[in-house]
Amino acid sequence: MSTTAVALAEASQPIHPPPTSFWQRYVFSIDHKVIGRQFLWSGLVFLLLGGTLAMLIRWQWAYPYRPVPLLGGLVLGKSGGVIGPATYQQIFTTHGLIMIFFAVTPVLIGCFGNFLIPLMIGARDMAFPKLNMFSFWTFLVSQVLVLASLFTDLGSAGAGWTTYPPLSTNVGMPGLGQTLIVAAIFVTGVSSTMGAVNYVTTVIRLRAPGMTYMRLPLTIWGLWLTAILNALFVPVLGSAALLLLLDRNFGTQFFLAGAAAVKGGGDPILYQHLFWIFGHPEVYIMILPAWGIVGDVVSFFARKPHHWYRGTVGAMVVVTVLSAMVYGHHMFLTGMSPLLGKGFMLFTLLISVPSMIVVLNWVMTVWRGSLHFDSPMLWALGTAFVFGVGGLTGLFLGDISMDLYLHDTMFVVGHFHFTMAAGSFFGAMTGITFWFPKIFGRRLDERLLKAHFWVTLVFITLVFGGQLLVGYAGQQRRLFDPFQYTFIQGLRGLNRWTSWAAFVLFAGQFLFVWSFLKAVFGRHAEAAGPNPWQVTTLEWTETGSPPPFHNFDHIPLVVRGPHELSNPEVRDLTGRDFAGQAEVLPGGGEPALAAGKG
Amino acid sequence: MAERGEGPAVVRELASFRGRPSEEEVTSYVGMVIFLGSWAMLFAALFFSYALLRARSPSWPPPGDPPLPVLLPGLNTLVIGASSLAVVRGVRAFGLGRRRRAAGALALGAALGAVFLALQGVVWAGAWRAGLLPSGGPYGSVFYALTAFHALHVLAGLLALAALAARVLAGPGPGRTRVRLWAMFWHFVGAVWCALYAAVYLA
Repeated sequence: MSTTAVALAEASQPIHPPPTSFWQRYVFSIDHKVIGRQFLWSGLVFLLLGGTLAMLIRWQWAYPYRPVPLLGGLVLGKSGGVIGPATYQQIFTTHGLIMIFFAVTPVLIGCFGNFLIPLMIGARDMAFPKLNMFSFWTFLVSQVLVLASLFTDLGSAGAGWTTYPPLSTNVGMPGLGQTLIVAAIFVTGVSSTMGAVNYVTTVIRLRAPGMTYMRLPLTIWGLWLTAILNALFVPVLGSAALLLLLDRNFGTQFFLAGAAAVKGGGDPILYQHLFWIFGHPEVYIMILPAWGIVGDVVSFFARKPHHWYRGTVGAMVVVTVLSAMVYGHHMFLTGMSPLLGKGFMLFTLLISVPSMIVVLNWVMTVWRGSLHFDSPMLWALGTAFVFGVGGLTGLFLGDISMDLYLHDTMFVVGHFHFTMAAGSFFGAMTGITFWFPKIFGRRLDERLLKAHFWVTLVFITLVFGGQLLVGYAGQQRRLFDPFQYTFIQGLRGLNRWTSWAAFVLFAGQFLFVWSFLKAVFGRHAEAAGPNPWQVTTLEWTETGSPPPFHNFDHIPLVVRGPHELSNPEVRDLTGRDFAGQAEVLPGGGEPALAAGKG
Repeated sequence: MAERGEGPAVVRELASFRGRPSEEEVTSYVGMVIFLGSWAMLFAALFFSYALLRARSPSWPPPGDPPLPVLLPGLNTLVIGASSLAVVRGVRAFGLGRRRRAAGALALGAALGAVFLALQGVVWAGAWRAGLLPSGGPYGSVFYALTAFHALHVLAGLLALAALAARVLAGPGPGRTRVRLWAMFWHFVGAVWCALYAAVYLA
């Protein structure tokens, strides 16, 4: 039976010879591994750009009206290095947009989704390799649109990353830059949708024989649920961007109201509905892949099966469903009916239950494990910490009575930076440090990585913790000069300390940049070998590092779940503390098979 | 393990013998269904916007705005339905290997799509002349945005159908999956039109 299934899989995914020309191999490649690397590079470059913009914001909050050292003369020459109000608006707007759509999304979803899904489910490539290529090139177009917007006459977008009208319409932002950014959001949405269709189909259709849903690594569960959310909700953002473009360029009046609209006009709140119908699932789009990665990594580095795998999977599914039902909590202050607001509050607070199941399962997995503190494990535990802080502060904001006070303060900024920025970034770093040997076939410098981790953990907590504190004390977000308000003047010191923590944090990132470049391009980087972490999933046990063009010489027949670690029967049979998902144990392996189902 | 070499060939022959879709074809259909689901969300969001604006408006259509025609778009509903039927016949004929008939039916579907666009153009011209402009408030905005966005999909679909018809006639032509996927797209566009007609013109 099983050989027939393998034969069927082999027949539907024949081995194609690898392309020989440079262009087909590295540029217009249809190989999911190359596309994953392309997403990784483009995402990391924009991550650095977004981080630089963040430093400018922090400078403004620490020393408003003073010229920016180093960078100021370079990019703000006209104003003598001082950040002006309009420039400041563009800086925080593009910082948010770049980080969310053009840095974290390509790394977490574009890179890991592409690279890992076929390898971890035992497929030779994505279901639609060409669509995959178009997805990357569409994404690149959107990045170019963002860069182009920086060079327009009135500068880039300045209406905040949420792009709320009426500020984002021609009335508030007449420049071409805002149009280009809205177009970039639409184009990157098209790219995400293409990717999502591909990922969802691939997981449904191309799982290797024996790879049941309950044997999928948690990483794949996270990426798959993310792709489902992407496929359903990114188009909603697309329609919001489309209507905004129509308003800006074709004179329609969907979002214009009041004096700007001659005949009754539309409704600016409509945009908020559309944006957050997408926007709240987007929060989970950015964290679910990280959850999946962390779930696998804590299990691998505690040398224990993941605690209550089915519970974690179920909780992630429940979070996915609930995430589509809570968007109203971003709009408590728009004059929403109190009854509706309470409904949204209820669902919002309910999400903490499955989220806690996920986090507690990580803790239970680590509990009494034999822990190996390699850099991926450090990052995974760090993710649990920063996400925990972010999640707990979210409870305050989900509650209407507290949100009335905290809405649009720096507390919100601190909250979503702990979850979406720190949580996603730590999750991405977990993934990068863990799969780097597979992606590039080399080892990163472990000492540099650990130094980078501790610097990042300490200072990121200080930066975003500082934001929570000033927000709780009443400082509003997005203020050009917060200290023009008397009641915020007392927070000048705290803001300055937070900024200095941010500068150290940014400088610390170059430890990673250095170790990354050294390992990719350096001559002396150590070769990784097929399975340096001694773990169980298919990409490590069934193929080399980096894998060949066709991934697997033979499509594996999966016989057990993803976390077969420290099983005494496996140790008796093989002398190792792990068994690969497709590994046939000596002596038929019947007992281990029975132990390892699911 | 010995079956590994000959298994696939047998499976493939059996599949083609029974006319059943192969593994790759099923994968394509699954992908298309997910893609169309995704696209349906795009239209759903547009309909949501329309519903919200209408619910907030004191009267709909606002006083002074002309009412939209009902009969001509109704006729268009029949046109696009007929074109879907033609495409169904085309797909069936193509599956049976009757190339000329398949090409004819697909071309007929594309031609009916062109008729649809022409009639839609007449509706637009009429509304424009009656004084309904996209910049004249949310009523005009909704009408032009929804119908124009849908018309773009019709245009894409009819170009694809015409190209498919030409390729079917010319030579070995496209695989049956390609024909079926475009047919699915075409039915989707037709279904969206039915919802659009009911929501924008009738309701």
